[in-house]
Amino acid sequence: MKINFKLNNKNVAIDTDPMRRLLDVLREDFGLTGTKEGCGEGECGACTIILNGKPVTSCILNAIQADGTEILTVEAISETTEGKLLIDCFDETNAVQCGFCFPGFLVSSYYYLKNEGEANIDKITEILSGNICRCTGYQKIFESVFLACIKYKNNFVPQKEKS
Amino acid sequence: MSSVRKFDAVPKLNGSWKFIDDYSYENMIYGYLYYSKIHHGIIKKIIFPSEFDLNEFTIVFAKDIPGKNIVPEPESDQPFMAAKEVTHFGQIIMGIAHPNKKVLRNFANQIKIEYDELPALIDVKETLENEKNAFGREIIIDHRRKLESNKNWKKTHSIYYTSHQEQAYLEPQGMIAIYAPEKNEMFMQGTLQCPFFVKEAVENILGNSFQNVIVETSEGIGGAFGGKEDFPNVIAGITALLSYKSGKPVKTIMDRADDIQITTKRHPSRVEIETLTDPKTQKIKSLKVDYRLDAGAFQTLSPVVLARGALHASGGYAIEDSYIQGRLFRSNTPSNGAFRGFGAPQAFFAVESHIDKIAAELNLNPYDLRKKNIFRIGDELPSTQKITENHLLDCLERVIQNSDYQKKYKDFSEFNKTHRDKKGIGISIGYHGGGYTGNGEKFLNSEIKITVEKNADVRIFVANTDMGQGAHTTLAQIVSETLKHPFEKTIVQLPNTSITPNSGPTVASRTIYIVGSLLRKLSLKIRKELGFENLEKYIHKNSTKFPLEFKMNFIPDPSVFFDEETYQGIGYKDYSWAACVSEILFHSDTYQIEVKKIRTVLDIGKVVNMQIAEGQVQGGLAQAVGFASSEFFYKKGFGRLEGFTDYALPTSMDVPEMEIEFIHTDSDISKGLGEIPMDYPAPSIRNAFHHATGIFIDEIPLTPERIFKNM
Repeated sequence: MKINFKLNNKNVAIDTDPMRRLLDVLREDFGLTGTKEGCGEGECGACTIILNGKPVTSCILNAIQADGTEILTVEAISETTEGKLLIDCFDETNAVQCGFCFPGFLVSSYYYLKNEGEANIDKITEILSGNICRCTGYQKIFESVFLACIKYKNNFVPQKEKS
Repeated sequence: MSSVRKFDAVPKLNGSWKFIDDYSYENMIYGYLYYSKIHHGIIKKIIFPSEFDLNEFTIVFAKDIPGKNIVPEPESDQPFMAAKEVTHFGQIIMGIAHPNKKVLRNFANQIKIEYDELPALIDVKETLENEKNAFGREIIIDHRRKLESNKNWKKTHSIYYTSHQEQAYLEPQGMIAIYAPEKNEMFMQGTLQCPFFVKEAVENILGNSFQNVIVETSEGIGGAFGGKEDFPNVIAGITALLSYKSGKPVKTIMDRADDIQITTKRHPSRVEIETLTDPKTQKIKSLKVDYRLDAGAFQTLSPVVLARGALHASGGYAIEDSYIQGRLFRSNTPSNGAFRGFGAPQAFFAVESHIDKIAAELNLNPYDLRKKNIFRIGDELPSTQKITENHLLDCLERVIQNSDYQKKYKDFSEFNKTHRDKKGIGISIGYHGGGYTGNGEKFLNSEIKITVEKNADVRIFVANTDMGQGAHTTLAQIVSETLKHPFEKTIVQLPNTSITPNSGPTVASRTIYIVGSLLRKLSLKIRKELGFENLEKYIHKNSTKFPLEFKMNFIPDPSVFFDEETYQGIGYKDYSWAACVSEILFHSDTYQIEVKKIRTVLDIGKVVNMQIAEGQVQGGLAQAVGFASSEFFYKKGFGRLEGFTDYALPTSMDVPEMEIEFIHTDSDISKGLGEIPMDYPAPSIRNAFHHATGIFIDEIPLTPERIFKNM
């Protein structure tokens, strides 16, 4: 079945089994392997993408549910101003450990930064509760997103954007 | 102590860093491990679904193994695949491969096996209570001393239990095997901790005729915590066999449901402690520990876990007369294995819970009793190893001061008189011996290599993997700081058994402590031999000399001796020390424990990278919170857990505020760090719960259901 959607700002069309997992379509058909499979049941958030402006777990969506939507994956988000700022902050605090869950955290934090952006640890803690990390104990993740919120408010331009 | 940024953080964040499932190769097919769904039985008949063409599949059984059907382990008793009898749920019966993932799973799901079922032991308590279930192995650490018995001494006796704990690395197990018949070579790529273990396993299953096995790790290893110490041997062996038979590259990625159900976990424990305490002096005079671990169906590496557990079982106390017995028990569950702490968390949960029990019976403050009995310079461990520093006491004193423990202990008790929800504060202390137990490091004889290239790149060659702990950044930092060479030009080679020398497995908190120390020594030797102030300038002037290669092997300390028969001697040359204070709020209506804050003080010696070290402690504390409050695997009448929906991992909402301090950082050596943050904190939460409610629960996790039953 033909499925049309906008993927990372480009119109795409695929002919595939409509019941395939959207996660597999992104990874296998489009080579977007930044989106990870941690649990396959929508619990861990490693496969988080932005669909029509909202963060969703792509492992529990079917390909057909992408039809007519706009999707952003970590590959595109990391190129945005907000994405670059967040990457800078995660890097600065040495928050990243194994890194398998981090593309998902980046997507969820991007959503928070863009839509809420308040430098408030309680709110950050809550918005990130759909992403599981087993390595870090979350502390440096909170710290990074908090830092990004402050810098974002102050119209901070990330290093890579300047050049 | 500068915080160099991790070289791999940015590519991990933007998704370009490759984990094992992100690799694919031409003509690659997919592998699947088909496992037993019963606990114990004899395989009578295997019925394949008729609507599939069997010729499309590659299938391997135990009988197809050209080499040995034995996974190499400290106790090599586990087959790669069951031949006739299955002795646990999850035992692998066959490997299957097919070009299409979906077809593969459909086929596997429809396979039927007829068994003659046999009685099985799956309940942890039933396993551990009955001495008939013990494997023959026993460790005795006999430090009995003649004491003049005294009728006034108070006897305290209790049995403590801990549950299975799943490592829950976010990236499931996975392996790729690529067979090249023209070279008679098997190339393995995977998410793993110990490349040379995997090499041995693949050589074992393929047999002696097969010499060219190369093992390389994927770029990213998505967490491990011990879970990728020995299970990768199994998945690698069978995947290699599938590639050998099919002649094609085979990728086996386990999904979470399979991974969580059949891979190794932390050993459930039953630790019985009996002490005699003199109420007058408040000194614990005698200690007897019966330390039992449920090993699962096979012993595999459990003997080594048992050794570490037994050597940590007396806790941080100077007790004149002590006797420790350690045993492994057999059940019909998957073999348990390595998980951060390696026997020590079970030991400390018991002994640190017990200290609070003695304190309550003697009507003493838990801190005062600890201070009275904590070991000091000149005291000895049950192994007769002498204590040479008071750093554990320093950690305790510092955390008591930082947390304002004494005042809060009183304030919370007052608060609880008038409030329905209760506050509690609890202490625990612990330590972790760095590196392999006893003479292990001597036998490992780790080798490292550094090359200095013409373009002034310094390359580090070690077999130790970076599974997220930041080992490669920290090792590069050690070399870069010692050589006074730019960090950007100090590069760690991706572990590959044909390129990197065998510097031993990435386990036992040994990577920075053992391998890092060796790299520091070799870097000093390079500086001395070449005699440069600035390496880049030196290379520029003497470019014809380069590239140069330098090697070094582990240098054993001749004063370190351990008797593996009697368990007397030096179990570990250097210990890391730690103490923590936890504050909880107990919600009386929901029976939930909310861990509000953990303060901890550690001595790991010299801290190479402060942020990385803090990150290790924060992650370990979170795992300890899960161990203490929510994580369990089997429960009678509850059924099996099949994924992250059932298994209660701490989320961002469940972790407490954390305050971490390192002391004695002016040391020359960097001691083990990886495991200690998981070793000691759990009992502080249990002790805080006692402070809050006056109720002792001797079993973790402290789930609302368990608390409800105990109230």
